Amino acid sequence: MNAIPMSVTVNGEAHALTVPPHETLIECLRDRLGLLGVKKSCDVQVCGACTVLVDDRPVSACTVLAFEARGKHVRTIEGLAHGDDLHPVQEAFVEHGALQCGFCTPGMIMATVALLAENPSPTADEVKHYMRGNICRCTGYKRIVEAILAASERLATGPRTTDGG
Amino acid sequence: MLRPFELCEPASVAEASELLLRHGEAARIYAGGTELILAMKEGLIHYDYLVNVKTVPGLAGVRLDADGSLRIGAATPHRVLERDPSVSERFPAIARMEADVANVRVREVGTLGGNLCFAEPHADPGALLQVFDATVRLERKGGARTIPLERLFVGPFETCLEGDELLTEIVVPPLAPRSAAVYLKFGFLERPSVGVGVAVTLADGHVADARIAVGSVGPVPRRMRDAEARLQDRPVADSEAALAEAGRIAARASDAITDLHGSAEYKEHLVGVLLRRAFQAALAAVAGSERR
Amino acid sequence: MAVDRLTVVGRSVPRLDAHDKVTGAARYVSDFILPGMAHAKLWRSPVPHARLLAVDGARAAAAPGVLAVCTADDLPVKRLAYGPAYKDQPILAREVVRYAGEPVVAVVADTPARADAALALIDVRYEELPAATNAEEAQAPGAPVIHTTLDRAGHFRDLDGLRPVAGTNVCQHYRYERGDLARAVAEADLVVDDVYRYPALSHHALEPHCAVARVDADGITVWSGTQHPFPVRKDLAEIFDVPLAHVQVVVPLIGGAFGGKCYTKIEPLAAALAARVRRPVRLALTLEESARTITRHSVVVRLRTAVRRDGTLLARECDVVLDTGAYADIGPRVATKAGSRAPGPYRIPCLRIDARCVYTNNVPAGAYRGYGVPQVTWASESQIDVIAERLGIDPFTLRERNLLKRGEEYVAGDTPLDGDMADGLGQAARAIGWGAPLTRNRGRGLACAMKDGGGTHAVSTAVVHINADGSVILLSGSVEVGQGARTALAQIAAETLGVPFEAVVVPAPDTSLTPYDHGTSASRSTTVMGLAVAAAAKDAREQLLALAAKLLDAPPSALTIREGKIAHGNRTLTLAEVISGHFGLVGGEVTGVGTFVPGEWSGSLGGATVFWETGMGAAEVEVDRETGEVHVRKYVSAADVGQAINPRECAAQDEGAAMQGIGPALFEARVGERGQLLNPGLIDYRVPTFADLPEALDSLLIENADGPGPFGAKGVGESGTFCAAPAIGNAVARAVGVRLTELPMTPERVWHALVSKGASP
Ligand SMILES: Cc1cc2nc3c(=O)[nH]c(=O)nc-3n(C[C@H](O)[C@H](O)[C@H](O)COP(=O)(O)OP(=O)(O)OC[C@H]3O[C@@H](n4cnc5c(N)ncnc54)[C@H](O)[C@@H]3O)c2cc1C
Ligand code: FES
Ligand code: FES
Repeated sequence: MNAIPMSVTVNGEAHALTVPPHETLIECLRDRLGLLGVKKSCDVQVCGACTVLVDDRPVSACTVLAFEARGKHVRTIEGLAHGDDLHPVQEAFVEHGALQCGFCTPGMIMATVALLAENPSPTADEVKHYMRGNICRCTGYKRIVEAILAASERLATGPRTTDGG
Repeated sequence: MLRPFELCEPASVAEASELLLRHGEAARIYAGGTELILAMKEGLIHYDYLVNVKTVPGLAGVRLDADGSLRIGAATPHRVLERDPSVSERFPAIARMEADVANVRVREVGTLGGNLCFAEPHADPGALLQVFDATVRLERKGGARTIPLERLFVGPFETCLEGDELLTEIVVPPLAPRSAAVYLKFGFLERPSVGVGVAVTLADGHVADARIAVGSVGPVPRRMRDAEARLQDRPVADSEAALAEAGRIAARASDAITDLHGSAEYKEHLVGVLLRRAFQAALAAVAGSERR
Repeated sequence: MAVDRLTVVGRSVPRLDAHDKVTGAARYVSDFILPGMAHAKLWRSPVPHARLLAVDGARAAAAPGVLAVCTADDLPVKRLAYGPAYKDQPILAREVVRYAGEPVVAVVADTPARADAALALIDVRYEELPAATNAEEAQAPGAPVIHTTLDRAGHFRDLDGLRPVAGTNVCQHYRYERGDLARAVAEADLVVDDVYRYPALSHHALEPHCAVARVDADGITVWSGTQHPFPVRKDLAEIFDVPLAHVQVVVPLIGGAFGGKCYTKIEPLAAALAARVRRPVRLALTLEESARTITRHSVVVRLRTAVRRDGTLLARECDVVLDTGAYADIGPRVATKAGSRAPGPYRIPCLRIDARCVYTNNVPAGAYRGYGVPQVTWASESQIDVIAERLGIDPFTLRERNLLKRGEEYVAGDTPLDGDMADGLGQAARAIGWGAPLTRNRGRGLACAMKDGGGTHAVSTAVVHINADGSVILLSGSVEVGQGARTALAQIAAETLGVPFEAVVVPAPDTSLTPYDHGTSASRSTTVMGLAVAAAAKDAREQLLALAAKLLDAPPSALTIREGKIAHGNRTLTLAEVISGHFGLVGGEVTGVGTFVPGEWSGSLGGATVFWETGMGAAEVEVDRETGEVHVRKYVSAADVGQAINPRECAAQDEGAAMQGIGPALFEARVGERGQLLNPGLIDYRVPTFADLPEALDSLLIENADGPGPFGAKGVGESGTFCAAPAIGNAVARAVGVRLTELPMTPERVWHALVSKGASP
């Protein structure tokens, strides 16, 4: 088993790590770096609970291998708020009641950040299409769609447009 | 859980081929890993060596040839094909099909080459690309061959790749003028249950060419030439009148199997429905592009 | 209390846990890490029924990092079996395995990967036995008898009266009869007789089951995502033969449950392994393993209904058979509830009900949001539409004519109906546009159902501490599964105390610190625990007023508390001033206690049912006649909540429940083949996604402040799941003229039905 040295930036912080090739990104983030906001559920890339951004692209941390993040920027739910200031997407999820048990929420929010970076003002249908791979067993989705549309408006008009992308 | 393995990162196709040759059954090409790592996590398969093709220069990317052919590097992720302007302008059916493969995370990581080489019967690109008469380039150390995509698929999870061979490129020739392609799929599970690709070329109120491919239904995606014969070289109205029969022929030829996605009987029925809808949508698309 | 005087209750305040949940700071059991923690993985039976001959764990035990390889005989327990109805389920299988997926051997190692790798080294020899893999097989003559003796659990009073049928696989036979069936049938103008089928489902809460256990000199501590911390504590105390005080069950946030985390599941195994290796042990299942731990009952319902030409229901004969799998879990109670609710919320003079809970060699089935009601409602509400069609009566009118009215008894002696269902159904019907013209292939359908809410013989206690600075700690055993229990209870406490919502903190349940609560199920937290919380807050409030009265030199009745201040005329004191004034230093606290005891309880209208949870649903669908695909275009769910403590969360619960009804209506189902589960995970078991969200999904909250809970509240959360399947089935029938009797209504099934009717092009 060859160990792979890598430098990776996680939520803005540089890390020098050595990982075995078979280490998954979720193991690296949760077990090595203590980022427990990254959730594992289905483990087969269907539910999206483990969604994190690698160079702003959403991936399933449950199945992507950790070494793939070498030289890249990884963003997890922990890297979204600035101190007590929630990211507009986080705010919208709170205000619209877009969460219940909350287990899907970190992945949902990260997928939303990726969506809005790519398509700042999506229609409801575009939201549903992009988010199809993020499963929520509690809410019935309606309020999540509302929150995403609200976040998109807020990002378009609000003062903080830099990092919601 | 994943058992340990060694990662190899070749700098060229030749080197990758050499690694495959050296380690034989113990080695496997690793692209996005969306299929491979999943199967290894489940303990269904194991390899001691994974050969990463993403680090081989030139294997990822899309470009248009002078003759209008689309050249897709095997390690190109679905997401790139979905969003690349040259694909969506010149090959809109491919861009649309790609946008409906799996979910966005799988599309970001999973590659077209991985999709084709895994040869999972429930998949989309293998069917649609056949109506473009796509070819694939297979390379090994000291040799290369180009074959029709159709011939890549041998059976479920089985391709004609030799042990030390890699898929390096998918070449999609453009359709003739006054043509359009449409892909329709149906299913209610995570993967498609039935997929039908249709390409139609019109000339003088005639259907000059009709190509049909069916995927997900049987063991491999395949062209339906007998069904095509019922639709081409005849006035549009005659072709349309023959759609039901073409559908029946394609259904019979699709070798439908019964599985969690549904019964063979139902899938055969859907082949007919999707074939008709796709054909009519393709006709409408040609008409639409001419109006513009 | 009039609604307009409420300041905290009735407002959609943000959830207490929202901030942690959107920032990733929320901690679930699966995030729990203890120093020195070891990890367990399970070897599960590959076959549905077998005699175990030998287990060879020697190679696994010698593998790197392995601390122990345990069979049932290696567990340091005083009793191996547990279960809420019968003690029929072993912590690990001994001698016999009764379903494919049953845990047989546990490996504990220093890392999950090493435990997992060692599983492959275990050698188990077994001899396969004939298996009964559905309820029909299990009831056939000569079927293997899966349990030959049954030991009653004695946990719950209503389960003392269980009626198993000796020598068979029937572990509960519920019967009810009233009226003269033969006469009613003879008098009837129409008798319809149909069989309806509802498949087994996977809960698939996103967080799989997980438990972390530590055993030391102080006793046993288990962190678990359970909905029933106190009953789990009782089971652990019995299994290890220690006093209740030596067992501590702590419940952090739970990543969804829906009934799948009711009662004891993997906690005894985690604790036994921790005792065995003398280190904390984490047992975290995969989602697929969770699907092999518990399911929703598949049910077959035969319904024979006699009606008069004018639509008056005369009699209903209900034969309900539930496949409860290899271990009863709470199946016997689900069977009783399914049977007793099978006739539907109607005035029916004559009833004959038989409900049988049947052991099979399948994964055990237990609680699932709705407790049998969705299954029987699929049958009874589909058949109401069949009757309407046969009689040429509008389905709404037929229901309205027969629905129980407010104050009418469902069963003599029980709490009469405490709401107006016809009104609720009317609201849902209006919202869906009942009666308005439709385009081709579209149809609308209705359904309604009810269930006794609040739990059976369930005690709840709450404690309110008012700290020296005026902040409030609310101790309640209600578990936060996502339903917003903590938030609603904090609102009730704040409203009753007269303090701002922000002043209240609700820590996670911990059986060693939190007062007793029966459990978080049956939509009972807001109502039943809510009453206990209101009582505790009132107790604290009265103590505060008495203290303030002395300081202000006024009678307590002349004082008011608002916004955390006690006022008399224009003199005010903060709570902090009252408490420090009384104790004379910056310390001390005021503690209020409140208890809900069902024995002393009679519902607002008398009787044992705390409240009736009613649900009304209306669907508009569009059917693709060629593919058989059903699209739900609009869905309206109406829920009678009495008084919404938090309207946004109430509606959100109801919408989520409706989607959990739409899933099994159209595609959700476990697929089994001779005892093997073919779709354990999410690739082949389809749950609702964004793509399934109807164009309009609306929840109507009916608020008449007529519930028995605090401020007139009733429970909510399950009713939304009752009606979706029959409402959609009825809409499909009205759209394209075919009626399905088996769920899910997959495109293929709809297509087959259309073809056999000659209605598919
Ligand atoms: C949840 C989920 C849903 C999906 N839904 C769909 C769907 O709707 N439609 C659909 O079409 N597909 C679907 N897929 C399949 C998806 O498209 C594939 O997973 C993906 O394209 C595979 O690419 P990869 O790069 O990850 O392949 P890998 O997993 O890396 O490789 C797959 C196989 O191909 C071999 N291989 C890869 N590249 C080469 C090469 N260049 N030369 C030779 N051999 C090679 C590997 O050795 C391996 O055997 C789904 C997958 C998942 C996980
Ligand atoms: S846990 Fe990774 S997608 Fe479900
Ligand atoms: S809030 Fe529970 S899964 Fe989405």
